[in-house]
Amino acid sequence: MSSGMSAIRVQDLEKVFPGDVRAVDSVTFDVREGEVFGFLGPNGAGKTTTISILNTLMLPTGGKAEVLGFDVVTQASKVRRGIGLVPQDLTSDEELTGRENIELQAKLYHIPSSEAGKRADELLSLVGLTDSQNRIVKTYSGGMKKRLEFATGLVHKPRILFLDEPTLGLDIQTRTSLWEHIRQLKSETNMTIFLTTHYLEEADNLCDRIAIIDHGKIIALDTSEGLKKAVGGDVIEVEVAECGQDVIEMIRAIPGVSLLDGKCTGNNARIKVPDSNVALPLILEGFWSKKISVLNVAVKKPSLDQAFLEYTGRELRDEGKGNGGKPAATAPKRSRQRRGR
Amino acid sequence: MRDLKRWYRTPGQILLVFTTPLMWLLLFGQAFNIGKLAQGAPGVDIRYVFGGTTDYFSFMAVGQTTFIILFGSLFSGVSLIWDRKTGFLAKLQVAPIPRASIPLSRMTSTVVKALLQAFVVLVLAALFAYVPGLSGLKFSHQFGVLEVLGVALFLLLLGLSLAALFVALGLIVKSEETLFGLINLLNFPLMFTSSALIPIALMPEWLKAVARYNPLTFVVDGMRQLIFHTSIGAQYSIGVDLLGIGIFAALMICIGAVLSRKALLRA
Repeated sequence: MSSGMSAIRVQDLEKVFPGDVRAVDSVTFDVREGEVFGFLGPNGAGKTTTISILNTLMLPTGGKAEVLGFDVVTQASKVRRGIGLVPQDLTSDEELTGRENIELQAKLYHIPSSEAGKRADELLSLVGLTDSQNRIVKTYSGGMKKRLEFATGLVHKPRILFLDEPTLGLDIQTRTSLWEHIRQLKSETNMTIFLTTHYLEEADNLCDRIAIIDHGKIIALDTSEGLKKAVGGDVIEVEVAECGQDVIEMIRAIPGVSLLDGKCTGNNARIKVPDSNVALPLILEGFWSKKISVLNVAVKKPSLDQAFLEYTGRELRDEGKGNGGKPAATAPKRSRQRRGR
Repeated sequence: MRDLKRWYRTPGQILLVFTTPLMWLLLFGQAFNIGKLAQGAPGVDIRYVFGGTTDYFSFMAVGQTTFIILFGSLFSGVSLIWDRKTGFLAKLQVAPIPRASIPLSRMTSTVVKALLQAFVVLVLAALFAYVPGLSGLKFSHQFGVLEVLGVALFLLLLGLSLAALFVALGLIVKSEETLFGLINLLNFPLMFTSSALIPIALMPEWLKAVARYNPLTFVVDGMRQLIFHTSIGAQYSIGVDLLGIGIFAALMICIGAVLSRKALLRA
């Protein structure tokens, strides 16, 4: 759905806090219009700082950032008209009702009251809050508040929606429904979506392209598939009755694949392949043609976890205790950026 | 500027906000009817002491209304600190609204609320006269529309000046404790060094000196002249009173504007 135009253009962006804390360190990337772009990294990586600069809350100390073609420093008011923000914290006014919050937001964005009512109806129904719209937000559950927050960010039909850790701390139902809403936005509108997260699944499931960010630097930028492939491809595990020399020979004969560690692990032949979709049929055909019976086949695609580990040299813990990750024993630190086409 | 409508708060809060001054009036006022005490001295026109009225309650009730404005304005900044903490302020900063409307809307809502409360208190105080056992605020018979506007103007200027300053402080100061500290620093001194509660005539010389320049004094002085319709016992003429508070307001608004601007400037 990308039209090829840049919705966000960032060049050598820098944000240094007093005490020489480089929260954002020479960050460069482009986000295409209509894309769902993710910033993946542990807490303290610089995600929220970057998003704050992009939505004009903070000034950078160096570099350039353009949102919708407008410079975030010199043309901030123009930027603000086209962006929506669903922040990490729950910022709705608790003394007002759900509906009133949306109407308030509409006023902030200069939407005439005639239209605001309709818009409120639409959005409330979208996030399933129509029944509770006239109750005070203080009475809402955490999930409901987040859904309201989401609806509020969409009031003025922004061209870019910024989501800062959208499903942080939410229950499964709310998380799943939010993901659904994001997917819907992606398929039904040309809205560009920029989200930050430290949940790998989230980035994997929703984003067209992901930038892995840590210590203020972008370490890798690619599609989810691309990132995983870069880690080294898939592993196909074949369980046979007995793993003998004939199996090893047969595997050697298949082009482009290799047996991990050069031998079987018990009765399992773990075969490293560049692309399991292509390699699997070849491998199975190989086994069957040599009349070696296959008991079990498992295809292990590298997880984003592995990719992250590979790139940053440490684990991304789901709880987000960023800086406490164990350094990887084997993975060398690689710094690369690849732009997906 | 229609963004100013933003700050409508729940009706529940308004009710709460009216009962407090009512209690004040009841307790404070009735117990201190010093007027009765001083009545004995012959040849002394008590009205000179009480700024034109003959009983302490009336004298004090006018002062009371300024306190409502005072308190309302001083606390105007506090909600901004909450807003900053909850991220609501960030929401406002991301919206395509002029930066100035953030402090302005807060000031407006504060002043409107405070003015309403003040007027309710004035009315209640007057009605006290009809309650047996209580003395009430004795308005002069010549109290008419012009006087009402005059009173409103005085209160408005006071409210604006303090709100301007304290809204700006609310934007600058990041913790409630600090702000409360600042508020209390100014609170009691302003109250007690003005002629709101204590007639200037009864003050020691050093206090008199301070009271003469206290903005509250200007307001209260002007209001009493309007309400009791007499210049007997007044500190300054109404014109001077108005000028005094006007200058104060202008000054505070300038300072407030500069400070707010600085505070909202993006980090």
